[in-house]
Amino acid sequence: MVRTRRITQIVFLIFFIILFLKARYPYDDSLSSDLFLRFSPLIPLFDFIGNFSLSWLFWPALIIIILTIFLGKFFCGWICPLGTTIDISSKLLKSPSNKLSNKFDKLRYLKFGILIASIILAFFSINLWGYFDPLSIFNRALTAVLYPLGTLVTETILLQTSEISFLEDPAYWIYDLYKEIIMPESQAFVQQVFWITALFAIILGLEKLSRRFWCRYLCPAGAWLGFLSQLRFYERIVGEICPVCNKCQVECKMNAIPESDVSLTSKIECIECFNCGSLCPPKKKAITYRWRWKPYHTPIDVTRRQFITTSAASVVTLGMLSIGLNDRKNKEKRIRPPGSLPEEEFLNKCIRCLECVRICQSNGHCLQPDSIHNNALELWAPVAQMREGYCEYNCNLCGLVCPTEAILPLALDVKKKTPMGLAYFDKNLCIPYAQNKDCIVCEEHCPTPDKAIKFELKEIILPDGTAKIIKYPYVIRELCIGCGICEHKCPIPGEPGIFINTDNELRLTKEDIA
Amino acid sequence: MKRRTFIKTSTIGTIGAGLLPVSLLGQEQDPLPDAVRVDNGEPAQLFNQAILSLGGMKQFISQGDIVVIKPNIGWDRAPEYAANTNPDLVAEVVKSCYSAGAKEVKVFDRTCNDPRRCYSNSEIEEKAEKEGAEVSQIRKNKFSSIKLKQGKVLKEWEIYKDYLEADKVINIPIAKHHSLSRVSLGTKNLMGVMGGNRGSIHTGFDEKIADISSEILPTLTIIDAYRILTRNGPTGGNLADVKLQRSLIASSCMVTADYLGMELFSLPLYQVGHIREMVDRGINKYDLTKLNLKQIDLGS
Repeated sequence: MVRTRRITQIVFLIFFIILFLKARYPYDDSLSSDLFLRFSPLIPLFDFIGNFSLSWLFWPALIIIILTIFLGKFFCGWICPLGTTIDISSKLLKSPSNKLSNKFDKLRYLKFGILIASIILAFFSINLWGYFDPLSIFNRALTAVLYPLGTLVTETILLQTSEISFLEDPAYWIYDLYKEIIMPESQAFVQQVFWITALFAIILGLEKLSRRFWCRYLCPAGAWLGFLSQLRFYERIVGEICPVCNKCQVECKMNAIPESDVSLTSKIECIECFNCGSLCPPKKKAITYRWRWKPYHTPIDVTRRQFITTSAASVVTLGMLSIGLNDRKNKEKRIRPPGSLPEEEFLNKCIRCLECVRICQSNGHCLQPDSIHNNALELWAPVAQMREGYCEYNCNLCGLVCPTEAILPLALDVKKKTPMGLAYFDKNLCIPYAQNKDCIVCEEHCPTPDKAIKFELKEIILPDGTAKIIKYPYVIRELCIGCGICEHKCPIPGEPGIFINTDNELRLTKEDIA
Repeated sequence: MKRRTFIKTSTIGTIGAGLLPVSLLGQEQDPLPDAVRVDNGEPAQLFNQAILSLGGMKQFISQGDIVVIKPNIGWDRAPEYAANTNPDLVAEVVKSCYSAGAKEVKVFDRTCNDPRRCYSNSEIEEKAEKEGAEVSQIRKNKFSSIKLKQGKVLKEWEIYKDYLEADKVINIPIAKHHSLSRVSLGTKNLMGVMGGNRGSIHTGFDEKIADISSEILPTLTIIDAYRILTRNGPTGGNLADVKLQRSLIASSCMVTADYLGMELFSLPLYQVGHIREMVDRGINKYDLTKLNLKQIDLGS
């Protein structure tokens, strides 16, 4: 059983990574890349809180939820890719046994605390849970850290090897293969990489303190599934012959077996890894697993006082989010992907999984995880950084891979007419205005069929008295879709002579595209 | 086959066969033209006629040559928008290079939009690969700096290594309107092998482009004028701006080809700064006032 579980874990981890790699141009939508992200059991819960209805979009999660009611938290032990990574980290870091890590058990309420706070905040349309969703965390780490770092190292090694004369051909042969399968696009660069790495590294590093530290004490998805698995009827049965060697208790990943009575199992904690059965001394085999319908209640580790404190803390957070200054200077530079819902709804639906950033890295390179400027909720929501990349005119992929439809899946012809913002010239910098020289690189790249940047010819008199005709560019508001290629290609160093802000942006709702 | 048809065909055949040596003899007597312009044909047909008039591909490609073909693949646009070189033409040139004995034919361009989108949407990647060309993406570590000996403004610039190392280079621009340079032809197309900050070439464009491109002249220039973009260049995007011209211009001299290309847009030399700059510097191989131009109308 343990072996089957391990193989299943690896298979799902690989499946997740394949879906991740698949999220790129050219995109084949027969198998959507965001499928696995929609396995998250938290998604339907918070979708329901958001609009009091269940969406079929989240069918994978609904299946998990329904199965959990009968089978318990198998998702955590068998499927969750973050859980699998944590297990690997646990092996590498040699996590201590429960004898040593027992002392952290008073922290168990934290995961319920995070879940409760997330629910309370969700009623006020504030998305806290996305930051803690295990699948979102894993995808974020893949997008911002693991994949870019992996490709950077691989590419550097291969290119360096190709410099050695007799290795040139084999190195390029591997390089071509690598370019075809792993990274056909150019190297990804992601901002916020430090903080996203920090969170991921902490989650993995906590294994030094206890096995599955994150899952035991912090994961809100685990808390939610634990709550649901009260009814499960797949049971660990401890036979009469049990010598009470406590091996299963000491080694239990989730510390789900109470020290006082090894025949009991906490339904809230057990992730059905089946380690206990395999650890049971071979001669005895006292532990068996059976279908048994004998409902009993495992108390949830939240005291009334903790519940009240958590609730109060979330209300205070809510207040702080509301009284933060909304500085227009920053706010109106937050350009969202084309097809994003209206800002408040967008930030509420976005789970910061960075799937859109991932797929954008494979062609336009404009989307980046945002940092905090005024309001904590901006953190890691996708924002278009046009100076570093731009929105490809013929691309609508970010909307197609958004698991929660915070970015709507726009048809390509609709996307081409949905402005993300508007271009403005900074005439103090723009070369024709500042230096009286021709340039109009922005006009050249403008992709709309009727160019949104036009130019007029004006004669100027040079210092030596001769006349010269210069092309001076300007923007047509009605034609500009704010794709930002002008800002990206502007040849002057540093600050661009033309930039995009959110003026004229068009936010759509689901009804608009129906 | 009917008897009548047989007689007809064989008679025409016999007369044709009789004329063949005469025409061959005639060609040998005439010196090869400096440039060719072929009108009213399909891309492959236009090219084959043009290359025949220039004395065949063997005039340019020798046995075992590594050939670089530089089409315009700059934009994420389908062929009918005339922003990129016609893919059928590129494929036909690849085929012709191989039959002239080329060892390897490489096709690439440093694109303006996402490179993989451009390669795929232009259909050049698919069609050129089908003919056996090696179509590859630009690798950022493959540029090397060259000295521009005659450079007036620029003294050195980065050029793609594959281009520098090739035995022969065939430049296949598409004839397009261009807002800054008026037209985009052979000279402008060479920007696709230039590294560095290409945007900065746009200030003082005429001199800078002449500085670089005169140093990296191709073996043969074929201007694709099957579809030409008459407005909103170089990106286009509006089919109303595309004109079905069905022409092709070829010459071993890029400046000559460009000079003839301007006629498609009814532009005089003094209005196209960068080509005038090339002529002023004497980069052209042939005297443009006494050009031996061969014009062919396929009339189909």
